Amino acid sequence: MSRAGVFAARLRALFRRRRLERELDEEVRFHLEMLVEENLRAGMDPVEARYAALRAFGPLQPMKEAYRDRRALALVETLAQDIRHTLRILRRSPGFTAASAAVLALAIGANTAMFSVLNAVLLRPLPFRSPEQLVMLWSENPSQNLREGRSAYANVEEWRRQSKSFTDLAVFDPVRVTLTTAVEAEQVSVARISPNFFPLLGVQPLLGRNFTEEEAGQRQRLALISHGFWRARFGGSPGAIGAMIELDGIPSRIIGILPADFEFPMLSEDVWEPHTLFPDWETHRGVQGGDTWFVVGRLRPGVTLAQAQAEVSVIARRLDERLPASRRGRGISVVPLSRQVAGPRVRLALWMLAGAVFCVLLIAATNVAGLSLARAVGREREMAIRAALGASRRRILRQLLAEGLTLAVISGLAGLLVAQAVIQVIPALKPGSLARLSEVGIDPRVLGWALVLCLLTGILVGLAPATCVAQQGLIHSSLQGGRGISGGVAARRMRRALVVAEFALAIVLLAGAGLLIRSLQSIQDVDPGFRTERILSMQLSSPALMAAAQRPGFCSRVLEEIESLPGVESAGIIGNFFIGGNPEQPVTTEGDDRAASERLRFRREEVSSRFFETVGTPLLRGRFFSAGDGPGSPRVAILNETMARRLWPGRDPLARRFKLDSGDSGGQWFTVVGVVGDMRRQGLEKEPIPQMFEPLAQNPSRLVTLLVRTSMEDPLKMAGTLRGAVRRVEKHAPVYGVMTLEDQLDSFLTQRRLQTSLLIGFSLIALLMAAIGVYGLLHYSVAARTQEIGIRMAMGAQAGKIFRMTIGEGLKLSLTGLVIGLVGALWLGRVGRSLLFGVTAADPLTFVAVSLLMLVVAAAACFFPARRAMRVDPVVALRQE
Amino acid sequence: MKSDCTDKADILQGTLILLVLRTLEALGPMHGYGIARRIEQISRDVLQLNQGTLYPALLRMEQEGWIASKWGASEKNRKARYYSITAAGRKRLAKETEDWRRMSSTIERFLCPGLGSMGKELG
Repeated sequence: MSRAGVFAARLRALFRRRRLERELDEEVRFHLEMLVEENLRAGMDPVEARYAALRAFGPLQPMKEAYRDRRALALVETLAQDIRHTLRILRRSPGFTAASAAVLALAIGANTAMFSVLNAVLLRPLPFRSPEQLVMLWSENPSQNLREGRSAYANVEEWRRQSKSFTDLAVFDPVRVTLTTAVEAEQVSVARISPNFFPLLGVQPLLGRNFTEEEAGQRQRLALISHGFWRARFGGSPGAIGAMIELDGIPSRIIGILPADFEFPMLSEDVWEPHTLFPDWETHRGVQGGDTWFVVGRLRPGVTLAQAQAEVSVIARRLDERLPASRRGRGISVVPLSRQVAGPRVRLALWMLAGAVFCVLLIAATNVAGLSLARAVGREREMAIRAALGASRRRILRQLLAEGLTLAVISGLAGLLVAQAVIQVIPALKPGSLARLSEVGIDPRVLGWALVLCLLTGILVGLAPATCVAQQGLIHSSLQGGRGISGGVAARRMRRALVVAEFALAIVLLAGAGLLIRSLQSIQDVDPGFRTERILSMQLSSPALMAAAQRPGFCSRVLEEIESLPGVESAGIIGNFFIGGNPEQPVTTEGDDRAASERLRFRREEVSSRFFETVGTPLLRGRFFSAGDGPGSPRVAILNETMARRLWPGRDPLARRFKLDSGDSGGQWFTVVGVVGDMRRQGLEKEPIPQMFEPLAQNPSRLVTLLVRTSMEDPLKMAGTLRGAVRRVEKHAPVYGVMTLEDQLDSFLTQRRLQTSLLIGFSLIALLMAAIGVYGLLHYSVAARTQEIGIRMAMGAQAGKIFRMTIGEGLKLSLTGLVIGLVGALWLGRVGRSLLFGVTAADPLTFVAVSLLMLVVAAAACFFPARRAMRVDPVVALRQE
Repeated sequence: MKSDCTDKADILQGTLILLVLRTLEALGPMHGYGIARRIEQISRDVLQLNQGTLYPALLRMEQEGWIASKWGASEKNRKARYYSITAAGRKRLAKETEDWRRMSSTIERFLCPGLGSMGKELG
């Protein structure tokens, strides 16, 4: 039986009792048959021969019982012995035990916490009935790089009619509306949903009911509210059912309350109302353009994703043929709902961090393995004595393994506490908008993973010394009375390999962290196209009942009032400053000879005349809007550079005309009066998209963003004054979401910053541990070779040479690790390329910098043992023996 | 009669290991029946053991790693379990042999007082 198989065999024995029993029977039968044959040969008759055999063999049952006892006993007995012995050993060196357990506990804890995040966000099934059947359906248009786009209601109706793969399709559209109460007005998030939305997910209201198909058809103003909203607004009182709330100035009746644990991946809405409450519903529902709706579907049992995808692709092609040629090329993609919880980049980042923290555990375990290896060599004599007392080699191996496992279990228990603490802290880290974060916790799966980590750690920690004992006659050499000047050769080789591995892993993490730091720098160096200093931004909503025609007047009165305040330099208004995804729209442009129509993804916003000056965006050509661009005058537009280039490549866009085919501009032509610089309004990382701006007076929306440039270093101090000014103009206009523009722009980077700092932390820990590893190795090796060094010095070796020899040994190991690690880092950089910004995966500066950092740290770690070696006093060293 | 049996077994427990290891070292891999026969032969039937008691002892020795076992075919092509001595077993045998020699020489000295160091000490 192979040595490695011994432990496994013992475990198997536990489960294969019956087979072992059969083997014993067979063995006994063979023995008896041999006896009978012998007796027959001696001339007995068969019956007599059989009796004689049984007599010679002795009582059968007691023997079997003794055998069984022995089998069970050995297992329990040696196990108990191992544990007792291990605890004694660990107690005997409390320093080693405490340090190792602490390091491992932190590493296991961090891993468990990371896994609990991974588990909640990516692995745990969604809390719906048969979540694996739930999918999202997206409109896409590969030729225009449109992926995961929203869909038109008329299309969804067609899909529902023609497809057989789905039990049902539901639509939803998240919007923000103003909730007005007696005391205040504020924004709440509302999702308009088709009545089958909750039944499709398998979600029942906690109280009350869902609205019906019929009620939705009649456009009744009904609402379901979230559990959080219910508690905040109604104190969790059942009286909320039937209560009225005023949304955008129109009362709605609450008919149901959703359960507390209900959370849909993309939505955290307060209020859910019928999809038919969409403005202009009757005209909207028949239009095939106008991409408004998110679509969620449930696959029929037994239908695979591929089958559903194939079917909807056929339907998409059929629908496509009905469209005019310019709008063709549309498809539908079916994506599991679970994949929507986190985008591909978030997923990649999470896996990357999980990998990094796993590396930290590997390094920690390697370090402890190195330490216990050193101890194993130091314990040669103990081992030798145990061997002399008759302990078999595999018994000693098992003992070492048991030590590793016991240490790992202790660390694992402490690690769980660490994980629990980390999980408590996670929300405080503000990890950006990570869905399902509230579900992070320790569940059986997380516990299972922690157990796996423990076993892995234990085996790594225990096996390193064990293999050395096995390989090299560690026991032998001591038995022969050798002093073992250089320790076990195999043990040393193993320790060196471990140190190399530590450095390799550390450099991979360091390089990763370095690349992320460089990415963050490049992002922060990006010119956003606007200035953020001293600008305060807030949401302003005109009163719900104010007619659209009155809004421009309201806005300009607010601006006037604000600009007259001391401390305000200028103020401007834009529909939305920061933007997310945006639908594509058909645009018809007037060329030199003829008009051309195309579909384009762009952003359209109304701005006040001083908006661009307020945010400091340069005018490249033409003019800004003026008071002359009023409701009655011809419609005008300012384009950003990207949009101007896109519509009239290589030509002067000024005074050219274009029109939008969407409803509200009524097919009017816009004349381009100006071109401004590009603004990165989707955060610094995203390339600026085409943007058009029109005068506030010509297309005023209810909800706008007010930007105020102040003369204060901390513009937030102005918040109260500004609110007051708005209230003076209009008492019922809600102002909320007051933030500095700087903070808002910065918040796009929260997640990236957290990733980067976590990886920096992990990699520094890794580097530190690698340094400790090489320090420990050299320190031990110098200690073990004090005599040898003393002899060398007595023979005339220079202290400097001894110093160089020792430090060279350490540096050689770290350099080897460095080279291996750099190769790994290059490969990993390529895998994680999408997380980088403005640097290549093989950024030379990063690689040189982390290599230097590592070498400096390694040299420092080697310095102390080398100095100690240099200072060995030959006389003292030789007297030692 | 009964007590006789247990006495004999007690003595055997201590020495059985020595006997088995010695047998396996001298004769190579053997099955349980062979080992039992060999011990009876060598001891000229003085040590009459209940042959069954051999098996728990073999199991223990295997657990300790002194012997290893493997299923093979017997002389008459029947399936039998063969035991062989391991390196640890040889070491153990050396130690047991030495212990036994020391013990028996000590006992010897007890049984013949006046001889050797014992006598000097008493005197």
